[in-house]
Amino acid sequence: MGNFPDIRTNLGDYADQIVSFLDSSLEGFFDFIFFISSRTIGGIADFLTLMPWWLFIIFIILVGWYFKSIFSGILYGLFVFLIGTFGLWEDMMTTIAIIVTAVLICLLIGIPSGIWMAFSKPVSNILRPILDAMQTMPSFVYLIPAIFFFGLGNVSAIFATLIYAVPPVIRLTELAIRGVDKDVIESAESFGSSKLQTLRKIQLPQALPTIMAGVNQTTMMALAMVVIASMVGASGLGEQVLVSINRIDIALGFEAGISIVFLAVIIDRVTNGIADKFQKHRR
Amino acid sequence: MKKLIILICATVLVVLSACGDSDGNGDSGSDEAGGEGIDTIVLSDAGWDSNRVHNSIAQTIIEEGYGYDTDVTAGTTAATFQGLIEGDINVYMEAWTDNIKEIYTEAIEAGDIEEVSVNFDDNNQGLYVPTYVIEGDEERGIEPMAPDLQTVEDLKDYPEVFEDPEDPGRGRVVNAPSGWAVQEAIDAKFDIYGLDATMNNFMPGSDAAIVADLTDAYNAGEAWVGYYWSPTAVTATMDLTLLEEPEYDEAEWEETKATEFPPNDVTVAVHKDLPEQAPDVVEFLSNYETSSDLTEQALTYMDENDATPEEAANWWMNEHEDIWTSWVPEDVAETVKEAL
Repeated sequence: MGNFPDIRTNLGDYADQIVSFLDSSLEGFFDFIFFISSRTIGGIADFLTLMPWWLFIIFIILVGWYFKSIFSGILYGLFVFLIGTFGLWEDMMTTIAIIVTAVLICLLIGIPSGIWMAFSKPVSNILRPILDAMQTMPSFVYLIPAIFFFGLGNVSAIFATLIYAVPPVIRLTELAIRGVDKDVIESAESFGSSKLQTLRKIQLPQALPTIMAGVNQTTMMALAMVVIASMVGASGLGEQVLVSINRIDIALGFEAGISIVFLAVIIDRVTNGIADKFQKHRR
Repeated sequence: MKKLIILICATVLVVLSACGDSDGNGDSGSDEAGGEGIDTIVLSDAGWDSNRVHNSIAQTIIEEGYGYDTDVTAGTTAATFQGLIEGDINVYMEAWTDNIKEIYTEAIEAGDIEEVSVNFDDNNQGLYVPTYVIEGDEERGIEPMAPDLQTVEDLKDYPEVFEDPEDPGRGRVVNAPSGWAVQEAIDAKFDIYGLDATMNNFMPGSDAAIVADLTDAYNAGEAWVGYYWSPTAVTATMDLTLLEEPEYDEAEWEETKATEFPPNDVTVAVHKDLPEQAPDVVEFLSNYETSSDLTEQALTYMDENDATPEEAANWWMNEHEDIWTSWVPEDVAETVKEAL
């Protein structure tokens, strides 16, 4: 009676076909991306695990001290030490390696895209809804095609993280560059600066604090993805959370979870601190 | 103005009372669940198709034959099993006890749940490779990649066949989903068979990830080796070969895990209160017994006909009337048959 008429759109099938097509036709391209990303993660992870634990803690304390305060530095050092006492030191290093790689790729893609959007209204209008969709689509939906492209493991995890975490840095870069005072740009142009010079010397430095806010958000979102990414074979703290979920192991879940929180606090404060420094330099 | 305020008040009142009413219903429902009698029997759907088929078979019999309503709560194994312990779920049709051994035995010992039947125990699990890896596939033009591969131990000779893309030069064996009990058994096998020397022990994270990775390799005709189990839609629809291991021996298994997996009891478990609340249903469930083969038939039907689990269950009940009618008294069987 109230049944929906028998009409069927096969949108999902098209998506399936597109994924199969990309998988077979762009294999070389995906292999190249795979190679670069897996080497980057591997390199960072090796470097971090080879570093003596105390050196890493000292490094964290110094970073905290430089960008925030000596008190913060010691607190961050303590956080990292605690994670080590949970027996999660190596997992933490893997997680950091994945996040750093993901954020680097996010910036490589995000900042140019943001600049492009700032200069071109049509591009901005097209990309905006896509960015919205990227952030709203349930993550597991694109984790599965990621496996088809990159196989199981850390690279698929990076790909999934990228889709979720890149929008903020794009948006905030666009916003920041659009927000640069028109008068300043006009005067620069009247003195004969080219577009590229204006961008490099005026717009980007002016926009940096806002872009840094985007970097901060992107990093936090990448961190939020570690548990979901572990469902396609990413190792690290996220995997420990997943194990604890599958075993209903509250103790392990808490330790791995709180370790992620510690990392989040450190990364959030430090990237905020970097943004503040830029702000001060400008004044 | 006054009228408007009255109207708003009245609307709010109606809405509130409606909410209150539904809350009230919910409460009385759960009260009943705690004491005598029960109207709705809740089954768990831990996320895979055979579970849904068995649910559907049981639901049809419970609804048509015994006159209870049924409902299904979906979630992960861990979450739904916790639901069974708490009593939010009454029946678990497919508890893979080995995967949740610790909490399962604890829950039985604490008296939170009761195991009423073994649904099937003739299942297989272990490390599978697509059959074409060993035998090749003429139709698809695939040459045998590892013609002499027979046992799990043999794997160590084939690192280049099962190459790990993230670590060229070594092979990759896909382990069980992170946190499953079998994962530790496979870890132990890695040691004892000496696979460590050439192969990486890869943690895939989830069941879905294993399936996606296997499907990708299978469609491309590439080599793949990893953990899976039957009966499942995967083993029912893909041509896979289970790598051999020494025959199961309890002492050896306890010591080294270097044997076949012990038979994994897949049980029907109920919340502790259900035998009091619905003794007739528990009586029926305690007779519930199928096999891997019977389960896979339904899964193959689903795959070949693009059918839902409900349709597969229906087909299965028509196909195997003699089996399910033996679980219930004659009069119940008659009413269910009429409803089919």
